Amino acid sequence: MSRIIVITSGKGGVGKTTVTSNLGAALARLNRKVALVDADFGLRNLDLLLGLEERVVYTALDVLAGECRLAQALVKHKQLNGLVLLPAAQNRNKESVEPEQMKTIITALAKGYDYIVVDSPAGIELGFRNAIVAAQEALIVTTPEIAAVRDADRVIGLLEAEGVSKINLIVNRVKPHMIEENKMMSVEDVLELLGVPLIGVVPDNEQVIVATNRGEPLVIGHQNSLPGLAFQNIARRIEGEKVPFLDFSVGEGNLLTRLRKIFGG
Amino acid sequence: MVLEPGLTTKGTLSAPASTLVSCCSQIQIKNEEDRLLVVLPGEAEANLELPWSEIWQELKHLIQRKEQSWQPGTLVTLETQDRLVDTVQLQAVAEMLQEVGLRLTKVRAERRQTAVAAATAGYSVKQRSRTSLTSLAVSEPTEVKELLAEPLYIKNTIRSGVEIRHSGSIIVCGDLNPGGSVIAAGDIFVWGRLRGVAHAGATGNRQSRAMALQMEFTQLRIADKVARAPQKLPDIFVPEVAFIGGTGISLARANDFAKTHTFSARGGMWVRTNS
Repeated sequence: MSRIIVITSGKGGVGKTTVTSNLGAALARLNRKVALVDADFGLRNLDLLLGLEERVVYTALDVLAGECRLAQALVKHKQLNGLVLLPAAQNRNKESVEPEQMKTIITALAKGYDYIVVDSPAGIELGFRNAIVAAQEALIVTTPEIAAVRDADRVIGLLEAEGVSKINLIVNRVKPHMIEENKMMSVEDVLELLGVPLIGVVPDNEQVIVATNRGEPLVIGHQNSLPGLAFQNIARRIEGEKVPFLDFSVGEGNLLTRLRKIFGG
Repeated sequence: MVLEPGLTTKGTLSAPASTLVSCCSQIQIKNEEDRLLVVLPGEAEANLELPWSEIWQELKHLIQRKEQSWQPGTLVTLETQDRLVDTVQLQAVAEMLQEVGLRLTKVRAERRQTAVAAATAGYSVKQRSRTSLTSLAVSEPTEVKELLAEPLYIKNTIRSGVEIRHSGSIIVCGDLNPGGSVIAAGDIFVWGRLRGVAHAGATGNRQSRAMALQMEFTQLRIADKVARAPQKLPDIFVPEVAFIGGTGISLARANDFAKTHTFSARGGMWVRTNS
């Protein structure tokens, strides 16, 4: 049985695409067959982050138009076996696809893969509805900022209304030293407001930008960097493993102990 | 005991009567004998014309959030008022209701096209003449003492972007998150944190109160009064009641409010009981 997971946030620029590429790679490293679907028509960049831009020949729109078979449009990752990407069209906009068409494609993909991970565009309009139409579960990406959390809250409400009840939260770009100085919302503050289970905390790290620009998921070149580890842990938690949360604190009284308190573990 | 003196003086601004909001422009779900009645907002009633997609989303939210007090298989009457609803939309509503164990069988419409669409889809249809209802709609606001609808029980958290309106009291079993709003003609109870916008007594009832286990509202309104959140929140929260006192909206501890305050109908505000 394959799992269809949508990665969404409401607000733009919080790291949906980064999370999608890294989780896809991390799941593939766990020997799973993973298909990533870029649902951000018109502003696609999942192919860039995976370093697959030059290999894109057909897009999801070509599949819908009947110009190629679904298998032809899938782009295989260079290093990771089992990781493929279904690119979005860049020359059209989000209105060029209907939720029903998206559902058809994703359902067809689901037959051959363990995971279908859909990267949703920002916003809550048609592009978002396209992205969530087939999803059985959702990962909400947010940063510890009130605007991002507010939008995440809205999106969770919309997902619940659509009947997606398995919703987990990833808090991205956490800066532990700022939290300790009380200058940033803490992970607990975010959790208290959103009230959905936490599946991962990713620290803010320059390596993420470096890896993004190089088109290489962190999970491949920098497995041992903190964000790299965080993504691998999220992948293991998705698989159902119990993995303790990472400790990125600079001093004592750290995030881990605080997270432990929350989960009573 | 007034806990937030800053709230009663500085935080309160007397707002014009325009803050009074109609509570009925939204979808209403009522019991009607052994059936459930779903009333869609009419086109004339809603000032801004609501597109179908919004109505659809709202109905979906409401059906899922409302406590499912009905028996599986309960029959539903859909009241479309003067709204145009086509066969596809009717079908979608019927399917959504079916998911929660409800069965759409009757449609009450004012527009001929809607009635025809419903009849084609095989529902029992009752078409009311348009004129009779417009006269009814006009007479409604002039009614001074309108009866409150039965309370609306919302079984989970109200998230950002969701607005719940009801022409009675509203009970929220969960939080009211920032960005969400609850507008009631009667009282508002939040069994959780009240962090969004709440408007009790929205049709002008100054006796209405808003209560929460944790009062952290963005903005609170009672009848025509508005209060903003105090600058500094207390360290420890106790359940509190917000009400109209002598100087606008005040807060008091909820546990003994019934003993310490009574409503003075003459002054149109809550006063301390002399004991």
